[in-house]
Amino acid sequence: MGIGTQIVLQDAVNGLLLGGVYAAVAVGFSLVWGVLNVVNLAHGALVMLGAYATYWFAASGHLDPLATLPVVGYALFLFGYGLQRFVINRVIGTSFLVTFLLTFGLQLLITNLALAWWTADVRSVTTAYSGWALTVGAVVVPAVRLVGAGAAVLMAAALAAIMRWTQFGMAVQATALDREAARLMGIPVARIYARTFALAAATAGMAGGLISLSFPIFPAMGTGYTLVAFVVCVLGGLGSVAGAVVGGFLLGLAQTFASAWVGPNYNNIVAFSALILMLVVRPAGLFGRAGHFRG
Amino acid sequence: MKGNHRALVSVLGTIGLLVGLAGIRPSAAADVLAIGAPLAATGADAREGALSKQGYDLWADTVNAKGGIPVGGKHYQVRILYYDDQSKPQISAELTDKLISQDHVDFLLGPYGSPTTFADAPIAERYRIPMVEANGAARKIFAQGYRYTFGVLSPADEYAVSMLKAALTFHPRPQTVAFLAADDLFSLEVASAARDWAQHHGLEVVYFQKYPVGTTDLSAPLTSIKALQPDLLIGSGHLQESLLIMKEAQTLNLNTHFFGFTVGPTTPDFAKALGPAADGVFASSQWTPDVKYQGPVFGSAQDYAKAFEQKYGFVPDYHAAESTAAGVALQLAIEKAGSVDPQKVRDALATLDVMTFYGPIHFTPQGINTAKPMVTVQIQHGHVVTVWPPDVASARAIYPEPVWSARR
Repeated sequence: MGIGTQIVLQDAVNGLLLGGVYAAVAVGFSLVWGVLNVVNLAHGALVMLGAYATYWFAASGHLDPLATLPVVGYALFLFGYGLQRFVINRVIGTSFLVTFLLTFGLQLLITNLALAWWTADVRSVTTAYSGWALTVGAVVVPAVRLVGAGAAVLMAAALAAIMRWTQFGMAVQATALDREAARLMGIPVARIYARTFALAAATAGMAGGLISLSFPIFPAMGTGYTLVAFVVCVLGGLGSVAGAVVGGFLLGLAQTFASAWVGPNYNNIVAFSALILMLVVRPAGLFGRAGHFRG
Repeated sequence: MKGNHRALVSVLGTIGLLVGLAGIRPSAAADVLAIGAPLAATGADAREGALSKQGYDLWADTVNAKGGIPVGGKHYQVRILYYDDQSKPQISAELTDKLISQDHVDFLLGPYGSPTTFADAPIAERYRIPMVEANGAARKIFAQGYRYTFGVLSPADEYAVSMLKAALTFHPRPQTVAFLAADDLFSLEVASAARDWAQHHGLEVVYFQKYPVGTTDLSAPLTSIKALQPDLLIGSGHLQESLLIMKEAQTLNLNTHFFGFTVGPTTPDFAKALGPAADGVFASSQWTPDVKYQGPVFGSAQDYAKAFEQKYGFVPDYHAAESTAAGVALQLAIEKAGSVDPQKVRDALATLDVMTFYGPIHFTPQGINTAKPMVTVQIQHGHVVTVWPPDVASARAIYPEPVWSARR
């Protein structure tokens, strides 16, 4: 195996592992957009909260980041539920712009509260297994990132299963298809919305927990992930778990190869070129259908 | 006639009142110097901005506790007025204008970072208000012919070069170097200067790439670098990117003899965030608490570090020290001018030649302080120690750095 092939393989591995993280960030964003028709600009801030929750568990309780993931997810579930029920629900059904402004404001508020409470210190979760890696030939597969990407796919699969096979999931799908009809069928739309948002917040929080294993964390980290979620949703198509996962892997691979072959400075250029191309060629994305959510 | 008289009296009375008020104002404010500082509290530079603010505050509090700055028999207390420039040059420039035109500050202390300093300098120039800055090292700032901007720190081209100078004294002599630079004015200037220096001193530059500021992933360039097996890897960027490079180098098992960063390892967060993984990492620094300098206001570098630690609970890095030094330079210039007139203080700054806890301060005609050398430091057992130049060094460098499997 030549050195060139090794680098390409390593880049492919890097891209897929990064893509897993992107998918984890994007599924919740896609869910909220598809069901509530809200582009949640505060999604990245929820990712940041999850990363910090994981950090605090690890730093002050010496708890393993992977073990605390469900707890972090549940905490974010409750936070998301409250946020939706008492804040975002008040503007649901008004214009798109109002929800846009509200979530933008929430993002600023959460980020700046984090800045005030936790300072701008850059932190990092370091575990005993942080440096572990599988070596396949000359290709290194970092353990924490493999676990991160694996957990991300599991999380997405669990979400898809909930959407497809539970009564709650069907109610969510019905609400996404036709809010008024769902209400007439006796589906408590406000509660469905709150639970959907809470579920999305939980996935965002767990994504943050996974991110904290491999990347430095700081209050402003969320903005970049909101952008990532946005691009992934456009690529993969709105309102489908499969779309978010495939879009995540596509973006991860595209950014990694752009970095490797053209230069690290081109990864956003490539990402947003792909976004524009997709909007021109196939506005609904690879898997998407407007006003719909599929497991 | 009588009506006219009364009108005249009331007009005169009003004028008198206004003059009186006007008279009261300067005398009440006379003993306080208002100093403006647009400084990042949010945005990409929030962390460094906070460190700079602590440096400025420590200077102001120390001066005020000592009774203020003596000028012609009077003692002026200093009051620093901060605005958050959100790490954005455009906003920083607008705030500088606001500080001067609306808040009527007497002097300016600089923002954090070269892009913002570059944006603020022309505003200071336009209003002829001296700006002593501590956190903008790009040469470009000082190549515009400005007369009111003074930087107390060593210029950008020294940042990475000082690490290369140190590396060339190590055995075995390094042969190859890779550079990763953030795509901003300062980081690129630092890396480009170091690349030129390397090429002129027999080091082969095997990799040179820039990445967008605040990037979340650098595994691709690190994979390319790993294949090239350079002796030295120099990162020219910001704290979070330096951390990212170390974390990803660890997971990719990328080993070099020398990981060096222009920004990061000297801030307390770095070793705290990485733990044992930080051991052996090199950095250049404007200043360390173990250098052997001494001067007015704070005494020695060690005295300064002690005062800082007492106030904030941790040992200061160079961001805080250089910011304090900017305040000290301004203070010494005001004392030397014997006046608070901006023009006279500017002239005093231009000819200032003093030794401080931070090192010698003497500005070139362009306004940058080249009198003070940079130092190269290394993290050894969780502590930042100075390893170069030999005359101020407190420890011997460990080279080559341990491989990843040996860092736990």
